[in-house]
Amino acid sequence: MPGEVRVVDRPESESSYIRAISKGLGITFKHFMHADKPTQQYPDEKWELGPRWRGTHRMAVHEDGRAKCVGCGLCPTVCPVNCIKLIPAEDENGERYAAVYEIDEFRCIFCGFCQEVCPVEAIHLGVHYENAEYSRERWVYDLARLCENDHPVTALWDPADPSSE
Amino acid sequence: MSDAAKQITLTIDGVEVSVEAGTTVLQAAEHAGVVVPHYCYHPGIPSRPAQCRMCLVEIEGQPKLQPSCVFPAGDGMVVHTTSETAETARKSVIEFLLLNHPLDCPICDAAGQCMLQDYAFETGQLRSRYAEAKMVLGRDRVAEDILYFGDRCIVCTRCVRFMEDIAGDNALVVAQRGHKAYIDTFPGRDLDHAFRGNIVDVCPVGALVHEDFVFKARAWDMDSSPGICPGCSTGCNIEVNVKENQVVRTKPRLNPDVNSYWMCDHGRRSLVMSNRGVRAEAPLVRQGGELEPASWNEALAWIAGELGDATGIAVVSAAASNEALFYTRVLLDRIGIEGGTFQVEQGDEETLTGFPKLKLRADRAPNVAGAELHDFKRADGLPDVPDGATLVVVGDALSNAPADYGANAGFFLYVGSHLVPAAGNATAILPAATIPETDGTFVNFEGRVQRFHRALRSPGVARPAWMFLSRLLEQLGGEPGVREIGDAFAAMATGTARMEAMSWAGLGLRGELLSEAGQPAVAAE
Repeated sequence: MPGEVRVVDRPESESSYIRAISKGLGITFKHFMHADKPTQQYPDEKWELGPRWRGTHRMAVHEDGRAKCVGCGLCPTVCPVNCIKLIPAEDENGERYAAVYEIDEFRCIFCGFCQEVCPVEAIHLGVHYENAEYSRERWVYDLARLCENDHPVTALWDPADPSSE
Repeated sequence: MSDAAKQITLTIDGVEVSVEAGTTVLQAAEHAGVVVPHYCYHPGIPSRPAQCRMCLVEIEGQPKLQPSCVFPAGDGMVVHTTSETAETARKSVIEFLLLNHPLDCPICDAAGQCMLQDYAFETGQLRSRYAEAKMVLGRDRVAEDILYFGDRCIVCTRCVRFMEDIAGDNALVVAQRGHKAYIDTFPGRDLDHAFRGNIVDVCPVGALVHEDFVFKARAWDMDSSPGICPGCSTGCNIEVNVKENQVVRTKPRLNPDVNSYWMCDHGRRSLVMSNRGVRAEAPLVRQGGELEPASWNEALAWIAGELGDATGIAVVSAAASNEALFYTRVLLDRIGIEGGTFQVEQGDEETLTGFPKLKLRADRAPNVAGAELHDFKRADGLPDVPDGATLVVVGDALSNAPADYGANAGFFLYVGSHLVPAAGNATAILPAATIPETDGTFVNFEGRVQRFHRALRSPGVARPAWMFLSRLLEQLGGEPGVREIGDAFAAMATGTARMEAMSWAGLGLRGELLSEAGQPAVAAE
């Protein structure tokens, strides 16, 4: 049952919307005139990342293109989300190497433990964040793809100030 | 140990401990709960050269530090293992050992179970003061299947002394002297002893590595379960190391009554091979001429319906657990089949002179005595199957049977883990778990009942044979089926005269002899 409507008699100066609209448009025009917009024109314009940004992994390689990884198994051990798969094997020189090395970037939480624990400075996080893919499978980066990545690697601490580690 | 042995009391790191006269300080410290770091001393190797100098301790009244592994404990002695002098000495020893050590822990297979790593971490210093280039020795092959990484070696000579003292074969020697010393085979000799694998176990660092194990698994990746070696009737106590549901390594587990610290190379390989071949993963029953998968309930109900009173024969495997054999015997009694045979593969006997009780015995099956205990008879071959008879096969007893074995049987029940060719003739196949996939007991050559524990997951719905055989008996109107190994063992102990006093928990990890132990089930040597 509808309730009773009480009609309040207000003066014109209070009930008119002309004032409110012109006030609002005034703000719009003010922003229109001033250039200090926070919006970034991505992807034409890119965000500047700090040196300690932790993003997509990158594997360091030797001069001949082999991955520096020795397959020690510390990164899959330390990884808190189990996103690294490693199967070590022996190469023709009897050296240990990673026969399979895969990182699921989807699962990764970019904590940087893998880079920190690596005894040969092979696996690094990178200053990079653009990794959109059309399929989930593509998010699992194999060794070849990790080696191909050429973005700058993450600095885990400021080289000028080692105590920041 | 006689009661008459004189007891002496000494104080180690403030802990008073009473030991027998003649005990060394290091062993007395173990009693006191004090770990004295050591490399060259190994409790299973009698010779003690006291050459690693790692176990030096301070003993009040002695002018210099003393090697605790050889120094006899005396009455009223006061020993300090962590005094400043002792700690400094230990730190120096570690520093010397690490001079030429490559510190390749990330790629070393011993990392995580390496005494050098542990003690260096505990007492060593962060950086080496050695400025020269490290010596590089590289790797060498000391035996067909054992690699020697000379750089990692600390020349404790445990391997050399194992070969000399325990194996009685001087195949290994220390070559060169001083800082150039390394381990090598004696010129013109091969290290081909049947127990050579133990040198890998005694190595306190990663210098000796089984080629099978190189780069296979890190120490912390593996799970370990206590087991019994299925390689022969000795029943060595082992540790089964598993990674990702695969047995990657077996190591001996201390049992002074059976195998001490050792096991043979044949045994080391036996479990690693156990998962080869095509596995039975689900119950299969013959419907309209074809073997069709069925659920456990369907399969057991169907078999119980078909298996009436029957005349027939039974074949079991001497690698099946006691519990499986016990329930097989009860099943056979119920359906009226008498007897039953098993075959035992024979091999050459290999001895270990330093511990004569441990042998690689000719019977290459772990539970020969258990099969005989449950009234199965040893036979040279498979029995002929009379036309139309019932054939019950339990365990992998048909691995070398002709492909048409059992084709003429009236009803052929196959209980096994592998789908061998002859299993294709079966009327029903019940998938059993293999030895590392189940709990159970074996009886070794001298009648010692020993427990082994599950290390792996079974494929598909394969289950321990004792579990589903007891359920099949329930279907046939027997006792309720068992699901726990303790219950299965209790049922067996009640029904087996020589096991009456035993319980699963009571067996512990060292096992118990069958009663009437004066009459071993199998004639011991």
